[in-house]
Amino acid sequence: MNKKITLRHGDGGLHTSKLIHDIFYRHFDNEILTGYQDAAMFTTEAGRLAFTTDSFVVKPIFFPGGDIGKLAISGTINDLTTAGAVPLYLSAGFVIEEGFEIEKLNQIAASMGETCKRAGAKIVTGDTKVVEKGLVDGAYINTSGIGRVQECFHPRQITSGDEIILTGTIAEHGTAILLERYDLGLQSNIKSDCRPLSEIIPALGDLLKHVKLMRDPTRGGLATTLCEISESHHIGALIEEENLQIRPAVGAVHELLGTDPLYFASEGRMILVIEKGHGLEIVNRLKGLESCSDAEQIGTFDKENSKVCLQTPLGGKRILSMLENQMISRIC
Amino acid sequence: MTQEEKRLIGKAVSQINESVKSDIRIMEVCGTHTHQIARFGIRNLLTPKIHLVSGPGCPVCVTEPGYIDVLITLLKRENVTVATFGDLLRVRGLSGSLEERKSFGQKVVTVYSPEDVLDLAKRNTGQNIVFAAVGFETTAPLYAALIQTAQEEKINNFFLLTSLKRMEPAIRFILGESGVHIDGMLCPGHVAAITGNGPFLPVTAEYHIPAVICGFEGMDLITSIGILCRQITGEIPVQFMNTYKRCVRDAGNPVALRLIKDVFDSSDVSWREIGLIRDSALILNHRYEEYDASRRFGLKMESAPTAFPDGCECGKVLIGEKTPDMCVNFGRLCTPDHPIGPCMISSEGACAAYYRFGGGKI
Repeated sequence: MNKKITLRHGDGGLHTSKLIHDIFYRHFDNEILTGYQDAAMFTTEAGRLAFTTDSFVVKPIFFPGGDIGKLAISGTINDLTTAGAVPLYLSAGFVIEEGFEIEKLNQIAASMGETCKRAGAKIVTGDTKVVEKGLVDGAYINTSGIGRVQECFHPRQITSGDEIILTGTIAEHGTAILLERYDLGLQSNIKSDCRPLSEIIPALGDLLKHVKLMRDPTRGGLATTLCEISESHHIGALIEEENLQIRPAVGAVHELLGTDPLYFASEGRMILVIEKGHGLEIVNRLKGLESCSDAEQIGTFDKENSKVCLQTPLGGKRILSMLENQMISRIC
Repeated sequence: MTQEEKRLIGKAVSQINESVKSDIRIMEVCGTHTHQIARFGIRNLLTPKIHLVSGPGCPVCVTEPGYIDVLITLLKRENVTVATFGDLLRVRGLSGSLEERKSFGQKVVTVYSPEDVLDLAKRNTGQNIVFAAVGFETTAPLYAALIQTAQEEKINNFFLLTSLKRMEPAIRFILGESGVHIDGMLCPGHVAAITGNGPFLPVTAEYHIPAVICGFEGMDLITSIGILCRQITGEIPVQFMNTYKRCVRDAGNPVALRLIKDVFDSSDVSWREIGLIRDSALILNHRYEEYDASRRFGLKMESAPTAFPDGCECGKVLIGEKTPDMCVNFGRLCTPDHPIGPCMISSEGACAAYYRFGGGKI
């Protein structure tokens, strides 16, 4: 029988200590974490820092293309990336349901360690709590992260003519979760796009000075994120539907279910708003990255439109509105 | 879409816009057409002289409040679980919505495929599973097949509460009694794939109105609107046409039609916000009445008030008399987040499509 997490694993005693050593220290291994302090200590260079936190309650915990651990690290690293920051240090807090299989926790920690390594970040502090069966659904994770903001990155007001870049295909994470969650009996190869995007920052280097804003289109998908940007900057946009890329299998699922992929989350894509005239240069730079090889300019901000509009392939135009009803919950 | 297709569409749109000199009203009966017209931004491509108005072809929109109330009443029984497709969850009866009941912990299960319901029944033999069977001829064969499977497999804890409707009586109501003026009709491709041309032939033969069975791609819609405009302006004679031959055969789908005939009888039913339309319901016939939830649980549907008290214009939107933006509540009191009328709930509802995609005004 598989070994299970018990309440003793969260009591701060011998079992907690063993769990931390056998699983977390093993996969997150670094000297700041294993320095046996209650708080991590580290030195940083002078300059701006970015700091972010996020909690992850995704259901199911394991899904095609990832798991809650990979998602928890990617989510926080991508939030740091939106601030033009190279990720440095992360924290990880676990709330685990009594009875959760230890081997599953081991797999989750392994993918967290691997994802951190890929992004060049370290988990330097953490916490584990165990709650009675039924109080949480498997395991929840909170991650926070600190990163160093690049000197040349200065988020600023979007103006007419600024160009919008999307780094790849849309809706894969949300669709993968949808298929798993509702056991629709559809055979597909759809995987979550969940991954860290921190390589964007060093790759763009000095070009970051032309980036006015970055956002990752997670909950609410591309449409909702674009609407939020448009509202906060008081400017409309025109998106070319034909420049949006959607994998055929993802498109087919949404066609079948009558749902709209524009409102389904990505967890490994970035929207970049670029100073007018520099879009192409940045697209070309991004295309050289494994995580952004399908980057395209998808539209422009435009004071002619008061809202975010979509130019359809037929030549018609329609509004892209914000998501009002949740299509699926607990996707991250 | 290829450059050549785009060129052809551009040409077709220009021809349409040049040919229409006075105001015309074209009704799309089907909710999926309503959604697609808005999604492709087609209103925005056409001259404002062409008024595309919606019809009663969104099944959720025409489901009467009394039906929802009966489902809610059923939930009070310990041994009943109500299964439904997601789009019915938020529709309100006079006693609330299934979504509210679900949040109170009552036994409402959302399903994504009709087969899921039989699995649910097999897994929960102590529960009576009542499936909310809503739709038109498009979905009726699926429900019929389920009932026959339940009978073959001797599943005796599965029931349908039907609110299934027929398209032809509704179209006759709009073109006849309602007094609404329509110059042309886009007929629903999905329903026609089951029924064939039959239910739609009277539009041209008896009411002398141009009618085209139409598919759901942008090219289908533009082509069909173009044909209707040419007939309306007198460029070509009024005649019934089918531009969706890749899916619709003249005689329809014989297997599906047989299933409908085997399992259902027709009857009168009240359409939400529209009223009673004779002979427009499909109800379980005597051979399958043991699967009828209203009979099994002794339920009677109360007839609904003819209009909602808060000025909702869904009734007029559903017969093409008004467009959603003509309703005082639209976009102000009535939004997808706080829908007042049923046409704001389903993605196929005219109001939801107008709200979400901007209707004709951008």
